[in-house]
Amino acid sequence: MENSTANNVVIKIDNVSYDYRSSSDEFIARGVKNVSLSIGKGEFCVLLGRNGSGKSTLAKLLNGFIVPDSGTITVNGIDTSVDESIYEIRSKVGMVFQNPDNQMVASIIEDDLAFGPENLGIPRDEIEKRITWALETVGMSEHRKRSPNKLSGGQKQRVAIASVLSMLPEILILDESTAMLDPKGRAEVMETAMRLNKEKGMTVILITHYMDEAVGADKVFVLSEGELIGEGTPREIFSNVELVKRAYLELPVASKISLELKESGYDIPFALTDEELAEGICKLK
Amino acid sequence: MREVSFGQYYPSGSKVHALDARVKLLLTIAFIVMVFLVKSLYAYIAVAAFILLVTLVSRVPVLKVLKSIKAIIFIVIIMSLINLFANAEGKVLWSWWILTISEGGIITAINLALRLIFLVMGTSLLTYTTTPMELTDGMESLMYPLKLIKVPTHDIAIIMSIALRFIPILMEEVDKIMMAQKARGACFDRGGVLKRAKALLPVLIPLFVSAFRRADELALALDARCYNATPNRTKYKQAKLGWGDLVATLVTGVFITLVVAVNNNFWGLY
Ligand SMILES: Nc1ncnc2c1ncn2[C@@H]1O[C@H](COP(=O)(O)OP(=O)(O)OP(=O)(O)O)[C@@H](O)[C@H]1O
Ligand SMILES: [Mg+2]
Repeated sequence: MENSTANNVVIKIDNVSYDYRSSSDEFIARGVKNVSLSIGKGEFCVLLGRNGSGKSTLAKLLNGFIVPDSGTITVNGIDTSVDESIYEIRSKVGMVFQNPDNQMVASIIEDDLAFGPENLGIPRDEIEKRITWALETVGMSEHRKRSPNKLSGGQKQRVAIASVLSMLPEILILDESTAMLDPKGRAEVMETAMRLNKEKGMTVILITHYMDEAVGADKVFVLSEGELIGEGTPREIFSNVELVKRAYLELPVASKISLELKESGYDIPFALTDEELAEGICKLK
Repeated sequence: MREVSFGQYYPSGSKVHALDARVKLLLTIAFIVMVFLVKSLYAYIAVAAFILLVTLVSRVPVLKVLKSIKAIIFIVIIMSLINLFANAEGKVLWSWWILTISEGGIITAINLALRLIFLVMGTSLLTYTTTPMELTDGMESLMYPLKLIKVPTHDIAIIMSIALRFIPILMEEVDKIMMAQKARGACFDRGGVLKRAKALLPVLIPLFVSAFRRADELALALDARCYNATPNRTKYKQAKLGWGDLVATLVTGVFITLVVAVNNNFWGLY
């Protein structure tokens, strides 16, 4: 027994390093280096970092696609490097990827949702219940018997989330799942992820390049060149000018404006959200 | 988006849709074999009537079934033309240079065209009324004997299902790439055969690159959803034979007997 479960820690990454190597064991690129972090049950975490900083590598490590060169990762107390528990981990850690088209296997939505549980050998009646539940959760029930091809990007991505939910994961990883969507689709997916987190207590790990999606997070992790260089609440992270510069992060729009106003001589506090910004501006004399 | 009318599932919840995919597959095969044996006009009329009957019962719009011919119309025309001139039996009706049209040629050309058209209508009725998943599951089930000699029938079924899913996606992509190349001044419909083929190269390369990238991501997604987790995989949609399947088999059986009888002029109609 790990004491991690007692503290409600679902993911524990302990000093993990991973390098990409060719089949002849030559070094290709650094994935992550000496990363340690832990994520509590029901937390909404956001992973930030510029391209190639190791975000997807970390996600793949959490799902057991790759195993650490050194260090350990435990999910619910289970070590991801143990071969026998790999499918237990994959069913507990649901992964949604960037391109919704490339993660659906079936031409009918309900068949796609059935794919995961079928692979796990779940009985038919139970699969039926899960499909109904998952489609309801993402608000796509009326599309159950339709083809995913005619849906909008946001709808497709919601179906992709539902297809993962049907395995009843405890952790949901969204690896740039909003990157290909228009603003409306992005809002739909974010709303779904938020709701899963708030209402179902799902632990969510969101990887994104849109800083505005990080504002509502419980915790933000910042990666740079494979190393974890920052960890904290969105306010702590974005108000840390040094860190923001080092990780080449953009700032949320409200923060950017508040800082620019301050630079031009206005006495305005750091703002994370539009509401805070509005309040700050109203208080100006 | 390009209308891919051939083979896209058309849900209407009819009795035909509810049939077991395995039964539909076997009946379709029987139908195809029969179509290739038919040679008399009356038998063709009977085949057309049967297709119409199935279309009506399946509540797929007749126009949609007719449209499926569009996809093969070129093949039909070319094949018929070749046959028209190749067969020189019977009375010669028209002749010029090395080209001759004879009665025999006309008959084989019509035969071939009708056969191809009925073939496509029959199979598209199958795909209109059966989801790709049911279809591939059905094939997997029919391939069961192969499983005993260690052929990975389930993997084959998954591959077919994924292929069916990606055909419309890749077609859409071809359109997009062509549009992008056209915007840069590419021209696909002028010049000789060689020139046109060359113009397609800048379409094919990005298409392949994208297909490989998709395959890569798809492999990851399959793994993420525990593909191959257990040999005791369950089936959400369990096909069960019902009364409908018996009725469909009987109706088709009676009909095939009828067509064969007409075809061989059993009743001396002609
Ligand atoms: N399959 C692979 N083989 C070799 N090197 C890889 C592979 N995948 C990633 N890398 C390298 O590992 C490093 C980290 O990549 P990773 O995909 O984790 O970055 P990321 O933060 O997800 O970036 P992005 O924002 O572009 O998705 C990069 O230098 C990348 O080139
Ligand atoms: Mg990435």
